[in-house]
Amino acid sequence: MFGGLKAKLQAARNRLGSSIQTVITAPAAGTGALREPAPELVAVSPTVPEIPGTPAKPTIVDKFKVLLIERELIVSDKDVADALSELELTLLESDVALPATDAIIAHVRKSLVGKHRKIGESVDSLVVGALRDALLDVLGNGFDLLDYIRTHPRPVRILFTGVNGTGKTTTVAKIGSYLKKQGFSVVIGAGDTYRAGAIEQIAVHAERLGIKIIQHPEGGDPSAVLFDTVQYAQSHKIDVVLADTAGRFHNKANLMSQLDKIKRVMKPDLVVYVDEAVAGNDAVIRAFEFDKTIGADAVVLTKADMDSRGGAAISIAHTIGKPLMFIGTGQSYDDITPFNPAQVVEELLGDA
Amino acid sequence: MQPMDQRELMTLQHYLKEYGQQAEIFVSQLEMLENGRMEAHAAIEALEGMMASEDGVVLLQIGAGASVRAKILEPEKVMLAIGSEVVVERKNKDAIEFLKERIMEMEASQKKVAETLDRLRSQMNEINKRLESGYQRSMAFGQE
Repeated sequence: MFGGLKAKLQAARNRLGSSIQTVITAPAAGTGALREPAPELVAVSPTVPEIPGTPAKPTIVDKFKVLLIERELIVSDKDVADALSELELTLLESDVALPATDAIIAHVRKSLVGKHRKIGESVDSLVVGALRDALLDVLGNGFDLLDYIRTHPRPVRILFTGVNGTGKTTTVAKIGSYLKKQGFSVVIGAGDTYRAGAIEQIAVHAERLGIKIIQHPEGGDPSAVLFDTVQYAQSHKIDVVLADTAGRFHNKANLMSQLDKIKRVMKPDLVVYVDEAVAGNDAVIRAFEFDKTIGADAVVLTKADMDSRGGAAISIAHTIGKPLMFIGTGQSYDDITPFNPAQVVEELLGDA
Repeated sequence: MQPMDQRELMTLQHYLKEYGQQAEIFVSQLEMLENGRMEAHAAIEALEGMMASEDGVVLLQIGAGASVRAKILEPEKVMLAIGSEVVVERKNKDAIEFLKERIMEMEASQKKVAETLDRLRSQMNEINKRLESGYQRSMAFGQE
């Protein structure tokens, strides 16, 4: 996962690092420039430590120590402009949405430009630190579903929405399996009464997982199915209701009003938007439109294992302002991972 | 010989149907990737052709099999959609490099999708075999 983006970020990181390295090494090139900053550098605070009572003559080693370790440099906007522009293109080419790209660039620029840095400090750690903070800022805090369930009245009702063919029903099954393994009782509502075979599909999943399913005949009213599911959960003291729904596009007015009715009837605690990571920026745009039309509290991205660019995963939280909750990474029930921003950043910037 | 339980037969049929639906989605994804790859190859060929052309005159397809001769004003400059709905101007050779990288990415994705599809198909074969044996057992039991 994110293999392509990781490789590209590594290249951009090296470029940024070498830009700063150039700034550091530039003044040492000329003789007699030891104490005087180069005009472009905007650098240097040549503070020789004064120790009372000691002879005033520093050795040549001391001079270099002062120059290389205790001197500070200030990175100017100009020093990193090219490297940042390259980073910007790298992110855009990886399908990171424009607002998220702008935010990352602005954050990195703010972290690096105009700040006093000890020359002794590793350039790479400087750059990685700036990138890490910028990515964490854009990725947000994620969404801890287990914590949410523990801290809310039961049953917690979760409604899954999204466009067709992105793996919504499979995601419902995967999350059902995940929650069951965490010790929660789960009931699934087969709210996709529209697509032929959808009820059988979710029923087979539920049977395999040993999860109770509430279903009505094909073509029935999804609001009624999901209402019954909530009733069942309340009377049987079930912890979580997972409500599957038919896939739909946000511009289909009749289907969106059906979703609106479902929301009124089952009163979900969480509306989760499901889309596929491989759709890249399209997934981000669709999530934005869905959130505007029907609302969404969190996002799940499926098929992330097939997406080497990682653009959607990086930008969705920042662009729509809703956290990424899970990423689907394969076909089996266990192939779903809670989205952990810190882990993703480590994966992207780690050396392994 | 005992016939296979009807419930088990039905469950196997459901599995088969579900895997079939998933396989259809992956096949269409594979087709999309292949179309994208072919399109990128065609664009590379066109960009290389433009540079090779001495007078900058190319045949421009305008749909329905009709083409006109067109003169490229700046064959060395290309407007390129790099992602996230952002279009940038690139030098011809840089655009070709970019498209080649895209092709490599698409090929890597194709490989992953194809692997998943293979796995699904082998699972479907397995289910088919079990279904077949179930039907034969039911038929044999009926003849006894």
